[in-house]
Amino acid sequence: MRRPSAALLGVATVLWLGAAPALAQEAGENDPLEPFNRGVFWVNDRLDRYFLEPIATGWEVISPEFVRVRIDKFLTNLRFPVRFFSNLCQLKLRQTGAETGRFIVNTTAGIAGFFDPATRFGIGFYDEDFGQALGYWGTPAGPYLVLPIIGPSSPRDAVGWGMDWVLLLGPTQLSATAGVVIGGTNMVNSRAMALEDVREAKAAALDYYVLVRNGYIQLREAKNRDGEVDPDEPTESLYDFDIDEEIEE
Amino acid sequence: MGLVAGALALWLTLPGEAAPEAGAKATIERVVAQALEVLGDASLSESDKQQKIEQIARERFDFPRITKLVLGHNYKKLSEPQREQFLVEFRRHLSLTYGRRLRRFSDEKVEVGGVLRHPNGDVTVRTVFAAGDANGIGMDYRMRERDGEWYAIDLVIEGVSMISNFRSQVQEIVSSKGADGLIDTLRKKNDKGSLTEPS
Repeated sequence: MRRPSAALLGVATVLWLGAAPALAQEAGENDPLEPFNRGVFWVNDRLDRYFLEPIATGWEVISPEFVRVRIDKFLTNLRFPVRFFSNLCQLKLRQTGAETGRFIVNTTAGIAGFFDPATRFGIGFYDEDFGQALGYWGTPAGPYLVLPIIGPSSPRDAVGWGMDWVLLLGPTQLSATAGVVIGGTNMVNSRAMALEDVREAKAAALDYYVLVRNGYIQLREAKNRDGEVDPDEPTESLYDFDIDEEIEE
Repeated sequence: MGLVAGALALWLTLPGEAAPEAGAKATIERVVAQALEVLGDASLSESDKQQKIEQIARERFDFPRITKLVLGHNYKKLSEPQREQFLVEFRRHLSLTYGRRLRRFSDEKVEVGGVLRHPNGDVTVRTVFAAGDANGIGMDYRMRERDGEWYAIDLVIEGVSMISNFRSQVQEIVSSKGADGLIDTLRKKNDKGSLTEPS
């Protein structure tokens, strides 16, 4: 970071945005920036439709599924520094150890990560990232925020994404060029693997922007809980408000 | 995997599981077994499979309650005939989107895992796909008792509640286009969806 003070200011602003009081969530989610978000979402969708999707479709046509899966495994393995650091930050030591073991096994026996013997050996996979680490230590997510190209996010997750990016370039000693190549490959390959899911989601959606927003927020909350379900969590607003009583008024 | 299955089996046979949770869990185990049997039956055509699965879903999901939950506070804004129309179109929508997606499943295995009881009496039954394309994906059923039987009122996939997701979309459309706009949007989508019905 060549201008630490500017970067720090940026981070502080983003975190402060995240701490802004949550607005009333009567029916919708926390989306005070909706007009802005819808705009960026629209641009991202156009970029996807006219550039990324056609390229990904082409890739899907010319590549065997076996190759796409190998590349996906390889790239997942490369994200080890992010998972290692994020698990460690949350003091999830057993998981940090498991991830380390997984990385070693897959890089050696799995031939640079193209294969995944670790899963067959029963080694767990703990997909943590710095956004979740921030959440673990009490950083509120903040308002829903759609980022250019990156897509659905939040102030907290945006900072997390930035940190993950630094973690990936730094310790792995990747040059910026290598980073761009790998990033590009990741975008196309992952998009190719998600082609059918995205088409189905768009077909199923009554409002695609809202579907993605709601899905993203719930997904991130679930990841922050590591998939745990708290049975005592109050659910009146979702399952219990008595419609029958309401009508009788 | 063997270790997980073994641990699950042990857990399942542990005594002291309170009655309500066991009832909900047994219901899901039956539903899952029935559904997997249908999906794995090579003698059935894909549309037959879809029909049978929808029959199972109709019996086990409390659609009237689900419709109310999806409409949420907007329920008041709809007249009785509109509510009827919404239920019909919503069910059609689920069939066209999720029902269609089931056609891709054939070799799935599902592990039925933990049960959690909520303070209001609901029970969440947790399941995980253990094979096939969906391997590792978690699917939770939120169950509510009615007249001694357990019915599913929500499907939570990887932490994403279907009720919550649909409700926010419904809210958006009702605010911008009103109740008629909602039914109209649904109907148009369904009509378009059924046109692309693969054979």
